[in-house]
Amino acid sequence: MIRPFKYSKPRFLREALEALEKENARALAGGSDLLVELREGKSQAEHIVDVKAIPELSCFSIGKDGIIIGGQLTLNELAESKELGQTCPILGDAARTVATPQVRNRATLVGNLCTASPAADLAPPLFVLGAAVVVASKEGEQRIPIQQFFQGPKKNCLQPGQLVLRVEIPPRSTGRGVFMKKSRVRGHDLATINVAGWTNPQAGILRICIGACGPTPVLLTSSDELYQRAVCRDELLDGLATLAQDQIAPIDDLRASAAYRRSLVTVFLGRMVRILFPEEGGWPHV
Amino acid sequence: MFDETPQNTLPGAIKLPGAVYTISVEVNGKACTEEAPAQMTLLQFLRERLFLTGAKEGCGVGECGACTVLLNGRAVDACLVLAVEADQASVRTVEGEARDGELTLLQRAFIEHGAVQCGFCTSGMLLSAQSLLESNPHPNREEIVEAISGNLCRCTGYVQILEAIEAVGEGMEEGG
Repeated sequence: MIRPFKYSKPRFLREALEALEKENARALAGGSDLLVELREGKSQAEHIVDVKAIPELSCFSIGKDGIIIGGQLTLNELAESKELGQTCPILGDAARTVATPQVRNRATLVGNLCTASPAADLAPPLFVLGAAVVVASKEGEQRIPIQQFFQGPKKNCLQPGQLVLRVEIPPRSTGRGVFMKKSRVRGHDLATINVAGWTNPQAGILRICIGACGPTPVLLTSSDELYQRAVCRDELLDGLATLAQDQIAPIDDLRASAAYRRSLVTVFLGRMVRILFPEEGGWPHV
Repeated sequence: MFDETPQNTLPGAIKLPGAVYTISVEVNGKACTEEAPAQMTLLQFLRERLFLTGAKEGCGVGECGACTVLLNGRAVDACLVLAVEADQASVRTVEGEARDGELTLLQRAFIEHGAVQCGFCTSGMLLSAQSLLESNPHPNREEIVEAISGNLCRCTGYVQILEAIEAVGEGMEEGG
């Protein structure tokens, strides 16, 4: 049984920000994480602020300025967007793998980030795309790079009185990405690991992010240099595997051992590189 | 019908503490207004206030789908929605599927294919499948599996359920 709390559904951002300044006030979007926390007594929230009527959180646009996804957008709305599927398929690919259809009809992309699980499925794609989280408070708006938004397991950087309005993805002229996830039971478990990769061969860019292998998703550093130096695909693959094993810090938990996660990472990097760079003979970059 | 039942007379109807909120919601095409505290879930609201007990509580945390209802046309776990969030919304539960004592094609197909054993998952299973068939009248096996992936059944092994939904999609039940 859930303990009593106050509920409000403000129609103005200012009202919501004021309410969220109080201790034990929590924002409610899809509720798929928050209601479980409340039920299990993990959240002591005394005031639930429903953000689904605030106009500033309803934006969704794909254009020259990049992709903008408001705080009310559900995972199924993203997965079903044809335009997003054409422009940036890895977001929909990741959204489709989260939980069940019923959960995806409620759960939001921003909520997935705010829970800040190391296994958040939408995090690796947003890390490789260089996304920023736009946060509002009474003082104004602030753009926070997604890497800084994640502070630790289930810890985001939000302070009381702050609310995420939207996520912004900078424009990409060319490039391609891939998202992959391993879970024990499809639709009924969090990721054992999840991985996203994105490359723009003309610009010599390769970004890889690995989830559920550290306190926060791990965006590999120096992958660009490795990519630019590598003379063939196998060399890139070997280099990436070494890089990843140095930078991840997986733990043993109920889903997998750290050792199993480490070997999964190498397998998934191999699959990912073969998808990102399908050409066997001609090495594509630069 | 629920609107003819005197309020709070059902033995065991839950009483929750806290401030109450007035909730106006259209359930199975009928407008109804009830009071409920903020922490009451939509599932509790349907079962304990409106006495619509078709939606079941299995896990209570959005894993099993036994509480699946359609909220503004979309399948959701009623255990993960607050009743206050459903204010001004429309909800469909399994009780609203049959009309004038006439089962839907899908309900008949479930019976004909032996897709119902203990029945605990059936209400939710029907609504997930119905929601699929309304947006995609001829789904393939993969789409059906995806649509019911949030509904656990521990009896049938799913085969009969898949066959029942497939049969409706293929129009085999039409006129039957």
